[in-house]
Amino acid sequence: MIQVWLRNFLFFRKTFLVSLFWTVIEPLMYLAAFGFGFGRYIPPIEGMPFIDFYFPGLLCSTAMMVCYFEATYPNYTKLTHQKTFQTILLTPLSAEQILFGEVFWSATKAMIGVLGVILVSVFFGLFSWRLFFILPVLFILSLIFAAFGLIIVSIAKNYDSFVFSTSGFIIPLSLVSGTYFSLKDMPQFIQWMAYAFPLSHAVELVRQILQGQTGSPKNGIHLSVLILYCVSLLFLAKKLFQRKMII
Amino acid sequence: MSVALSAINLKKNYKDVAAIRGINLEIKHGECFGILGPNGAGKSTLLKMIYGQVLPTSGDLFVLGLNTRIQLTEIKSRIGIVPQDDGLDTDFSALENLKLFSSYFGLDQQSAATRSDFLLHEMKLIEHQHMHVEALSGGMKRRLVIARALLHDPQMLILDEPTTGLDPQARLWIWNYFEKLKSQKKTIIMTTHYMEEAEKLCDRIAIVDQGMILDIGTSPELIQKYIGTEVIELDIEDQKNYWMTKIINLNIEFRDFEDKLFIYFKSMDQRQNFLQYIQNAHYLIRNANLNDVFLKVAGYQIRGDA
Repeated sequence: MIQVWLRNFLFFRKTFLVSLFWTVIEPLMYLAAFGFGFGRYIPPIEGMPFIDFYFPGLLCSTAMMVCYFEATYPNYTKLTHQKTFQTILLTPLSAEQILFGEVFWSATKAMIGVLGVILVSVFFGLFSWRLFFILPVLFILSLIFAAFGLIIVSIAKNYDSFVFSTSGFIIPLSLVSGTYFSLKDMPQFIQWMAYAFPLSHAVELVRQILQGQTGSPKNGIHLSVLILYCVSLLFLAKKLFQRKMII
Repeated sequence: MSVALSAINLKKNYKDVAAIRGINLEIKHGECFGILGPNGAGKSTLLKMIYGQVLPTSGDLFVLGLNTRIQLTEIKSRIGIVPQDDGLDTDFSALENLKLFSSYFGLDQQSAATRSDFLLHEMKLIEHQHMHVEALSGGMKRRLVIARALLHDPQMLILDEPTTGLDPQARLWIWNYFEKLKSQKKTIIMTTHYMEEAEKLCDRIAIVDQGMILDIGTSPELIQKYIGTEVIELDIEDQKNYWMTKIINLNIEFRDFEDKLFIYFKSMDQRQNFLQYIQNAHYLIRNANLNDVFLKVAGYQIRGDA
């Protein structure tokens, strides 16, 4: 497993500038445009200035996007064009080890992106020591969407399949999960829909931690949902990936 | 332990289609075993079962005394595989490819460096070691794949069409290298479409079609059994019936292919005797070879599904 992770790390070392650009610079542009630009015209949400409300959403959606994209396109290329996975299977490594290596790599890359954003956010006056407590939450969230990405890789017919999962699921999810607006003001069924998926739980949990509200009993529910999603999607990804690799 | 591989009533179905229909096979240690068959015969499926990318539907397959169903990791650490697709990691250089694979095989950094360096020299790739694999020629890529299969000094090698698409020089060089591996007593199992390759390298040959082994033997055995010593290729143009009646009456074996007859002779006397009947027809006399065996057993026609 670690060998597969290391392979990706070695490749990342060669291309880290382009990687860093889209994983760190892109979210920062959002932070500047929405948080500071657009946000100045917005009244406080749930008692917080817009930038404070939006920052947890941005961190969570960055983690989700980076690991989803890292888990999908490059891995589908390795599966179909480069035959990298089939070739690794010629060695004692198993399909399961390849899968977990890739999942952990995608999550690692997401954490690199998140840490980059946190680092630069210091200059925007958003830094707080509490940011370190949200890292485990973001890591679990990354594992969830890395597993989701590899599930899509395992069932995709061609590159177009990712258009459906990206535009039909990931992008809408990043908009409605309490990232840009409070779910509390929304009709009940929208709340139910949003909380059926993991991103809203992560956003809410991260927001509570950053606000210093660690004692809320709801946090336990959010964390449990995330862990449940994580375990089930990893299990499903393992099954589907093995079925794809071994006939 | 003298048996390197044994298959017992091995079967594989892809959904409703039977790809392997009951194969029984024993390959000895140090043997170079060739598997010949037309496209779609089941050769690659059989090889993929050896290294676990295809699971048998029923039957058993033992490699180096280990069961492929439960001891696959152990098996894969002892065999080297040259697949049909190079599968080189195109994000890395030649040397980096070998080092990465060493890590997949669990070699420590020191042995990885030593083995990679040794094999790059051995494969005449040392000057190209820092080249990106995409920039290597077809022959170099193939040599790199062979180096990759030898990193962990395997006891057995699986070669799936190892020289397909290479120029004659590259092919000759690789054959020569396989001879060297044979002399080191490594067991080799290979598929090929080049009869010359099989005749030159393989101690025994299996002819496979439609998921079954049609026959197994040494190249001379198979040639003697199916063809004889010589073949006449006779141009018959529009006189097919005349010639076919004649040959059938003489009780000589033949196959017809478009406007040609391939006539098989068990002895030179039989051939000499036949020649007196040929007037005003083009013909070619040559020694029987493995190609004749293959075409006779698997049929002369291009298949709709291949």
